[in-house]
Amino acid sequence: MGRIDEVIHQSLRLQIMASLITLDPRQSVDFVYLRDLLKATDGNLGAHLEKLEAAGYVKIEKTFVARKPRTFVSATAKGRTAFEEHVAALKTILNMK
Amino acid sequence: MEISSEEARESLAQAQDAAARTRKLLACRGADALFVVWGLVWFLGYLGTDLAPRLLALGKGGEDRGETAVWIVNGIWLALIALGIVVSVAVWKRRSPTKTSSGARLGWFWLLLYVYVSVWIFLLWPFIKVEGAAESVRFGRHMGAIEATVPMFAYVVMGLWLDHFMIWIGLAITGLTVLGLFLAPAWFWIWMAVMGGGSLVSTGFLIRNRWR
Repeated sequence: MGRIDEVIHQSLRLQIMASLITLDPRQSVDFVYLRDLLKATDGNLGAHLEKLEAAGYVKIEKTFVARKPRTFVSATAKGRTAFEEHVAALKTILNMK
Repeated sequence: MEISSEEARESLAQAQDAAARTRKLLACRGADALFVVWGLVWFLGYLGTDLAPRLLALGKGGEDRGETAVWIVNGIWLALIALGIVVSVAVWKRRSPTKTSSGARLGWFWLLLYVYVSVWIFLLWPFIKVEGAAESVRFGRHMGAIEATVPMFAYVVMGLWLDHFMIWIGLAITGLTVLGLFLAPAWFWIWMAVMGGGSLVSTGFLIRNRWR
């Protein structure tokens, strides 16, 4: 049985993690695409990503593509485990009640 | 941390929705632009294949200049494929929403496929005996059909591990190629320009409109 993770439980952070978990473990997604996908603002997404990064759930990588700065985000192994446990806990609550 | 079953249900729905939207994004990943680029390569290449011999014959009062036409057509295709590769790499780098090693793997897959087909053609060429202009034209069409269906077979293979949508595109264009070869042989190159190239361009716009 998993546990409810307070870091992941917030709505946007949950969606960020759900989105990143969908990627292959070696894949990372462009910040701009993630922002548009989740209909978030730059500031909002950035703030929530910082919290997830501080918890060790995501990795943020800044790089240059065709001389333009781009930021890529990926879920860490710790983040994947935490998300799976969080989802398991949510399913347990639904089954119990 | 205590949460209600209603809250748990909403959270799960949000997570599933975000995951579904991400899968769509991954399926698109700049593919729309790549389909348009290769559709245009096909359109211009097949148009050139049809027009080059006709224009050469017109310029020389109908005199047969088959060898020259073959060189010109090969040159057109080499230039277009090289341009297509350069534009594809640029599009992939700029528009792919994800950073992954699979992009490079796909690039190598396409390059090796072209090398493999080219080596076979090179090795078999001395043994191929084509006599007479009519047979030469027919042989050219058959080779063209093979060369068109090889990348379509690759689409089907890629569709197995990327997105099943590509399987249908590969099968549809292969079917159109065979239809054109047998039903409209005199117009085969124009058929391939419009139906083959047009299908790829249309697929690009379809992906852009439906998957975004």
